Amino acid sequence: MKSYRSFLLIIITLIFCLTACSSGETSQSEDEVKLILGAYTTPREAYGELIPLFQEYWLDKTGQRVIFEESYLGSGAQSRAVVEGFEADIVALSLEADVIRIQNAGLITHDWKAGEHKGIITTSIVNFAVREGNPKNIQDWNDLAQPDLEILTPNPNTSGGAMWNILAVYGAALRGQIDGVPGDSPESAEEFLKQVLANVSVMDKGARDSILNFEKGIGDLAITYENEILVGKSSGQTYERIIPTSTILIENPIAIIDASVDKHGTRDAAEAFLDFLYTDQAQEIYAQHGLRVVNAQVAAEYEGDYPPVEDLFTVDYFGGWDQIMGEIFGEDGVYNRAILQVQRGE
Amino acid sequence: MKLQKKGLGAWGIILLVMLYTGVLIIAPILALIFGAFSEGLAPALKTLGSSIFLDALWLSLKIALLVVAVQTLLGTIVAWIIVRHDFRGKAFLKSLIDVPFAMSPVVVGYMLLLLFGRNGFLAPIIEPLGIKVAFATPGIFLATLFVSLPFMIKEMIPVIENLDRSQEFAAQTLGADGWSIFWRVIFPQLRTALIYGMTLTFARALGEFGAVLVIGGGIQGRTETTTMYIFRSLDERHFVEAYSAAILLGSFSVMIVLIADWVKRREEKHQSQVETIERL
Repeated sequence: MKSYRSFLLIIITLIFCLTACSSGETSQSEDEVKLILGAYTTPREAYGELIPLFQEYWLDKTGQRVIFEESYLGSGAQSRAVVEGFEADIVALSLEADVIRIQNAGLITHDWKAGEHKGIITTSIVNFAVREGNPKNIQDWNDLAQPDLEILTPNPNTSGGAMWNILAVYGAALRGQIDGVPGDSPESAEEFLKQVLANVSVMDKGARDSILNFEKGIGDLAITYENEILVGKSSGQTYERIIPTSTILIENPIAIIDASVDKHGTRDAAEAFLDFLYTDQAQEIYAQHGLRVVNAQVAAEYEGDYPPVEDLFTVDYFGGWDQIMGEIFGEDGVYNRAILQVQRGE
Repeated sequence: MKLQKKGLGAWGIILLVMLYTGVLIIAPILALIFGAFSEGLAPALKTLGSSIFLDALWLSLKIALLVVAVQTLLGTIVAWIIVRHDFRGKAFLKSLIDVPFAMSPVVVGYMLLLLFGRNGFLAPIIEPLGIKVAFATPGIFLATLFVSLPFMIKEMIPVIENLDRSQEFAAQTLGADGWSIFWRVIFPQLRTALIYGMTLTFARALGEFGAVLVIGGGIQGRTETTTMYIFRSLDERHFVEAYSAAILLGSFSVMIVLIADWVKRREEKHQSQVETIERL
């Protein structure tokens, strides 16, 4: 009968032991520093190469080892996690609005857009992935409204990439760059957005899910980041990149979270990491992972991989993020009106 | 109804049942195994030795074991109180236990964030104490505890209801104290259900994804559990890593289920022997 008592004993010991060993958080010290990176999902392959390089650089320079803790979530989800208490030292997100959310929560107190590149670390463009050989002969935006086309684009409520996609369609239409759509007419642009949305068969929660589903054979076309296509191609995928005549320049911000670095005592290392990411060496790695870069010299070097866009516009065309979040993605905004009508079958 | 005389219809149904369960469960497992070893054994083994994966696996096991320990202790007590005592609000308590079944794990994660997040209701209490719950191990533990709550209790309630109380009275009459009545008379009758409940709790805890992702944030090497590791590897197109991690995680669960099954059968065999002896 003793075995029953030992059974209970084992359980109790387990509880104590496990609680004891789960409560060991490392603190910063002279020879070791820990940086927490909260990023959106698409550039993770690049960070996989960048982080070891920075670790080496920082060890040589200061004799201090940098340990990284990385988290990759959708841009919006990551931003909300930081606001809710995820103490990332640095955030690298898809769009400025997600950094502004953190700033508005009082966690970023410095002017993170003060630098030479205004807080933007990489850029990309919205373009299309089509099946090998382009069987549906997609050349530009107007081909996306044709009947019997299945389009993949993620859900703008969860995905930063999806918001860029919507801005690209709507902006190109508004600028009169789409055949058959009169420019400067919000009504016609919204009508065209509806036609494209009507062809969307799957709305995933993030850009990566969307392209992975495309790889599984779903859909004829995926609207996505240029870097998603290039990263996919370099891992052996056979789809093709189509760059439309007119598209939006995606600008990905990066920022130090003051509240976190001050609490962790990691400001020096975090700032050094940020500076490092703007060096030629680091920017080249971004460029090798499908991203357009802000460093002009490196950008020139990789020009061949990143063809220029005939009509490239930025968020400024819409009057900035405040305008965009209200007029386009607000509750009664362009996007919600269009998607509601599409869902109702109007 | 005699066993020998099965009509064509009955055979048809049996075949359908076999196909349904067999294909539904075995086909994906086979696909997984082929996927993991599609590039040979070496890449699969390399994954299982990587430190990020081992961190994730250790976290999953730690959480699952801790959750099983707590549920075993508290789940049994809750079940006991529900069966043996009458009190106001008992019906409410009983239906409350089913809530984790009905609720989406992602919602569970968000609820915990609402409690323990930086702006959460409990933030004014835990912040000054320096306790981190959200985006840390305690949050993952709480989320797993929540989603796995019903299993132990649901398993124990019917067994406690069916306990033969005359044995307890007999033991009492013979002068046994409460402690030895529990260990010598009651516990042996609970043991099978206990092990079964522990198994289900363990498997559920190990497999949890949505709730722990939301409350934990999936920080590699710290709050990334094995299921998150698998999910991330798929996202990164590291299919071999994802599949081999999934196989290892799956084997843990299958192993536990098999052990529980074995214990159960041994117990039943033992039981029938006792009955035979009693009849003699």
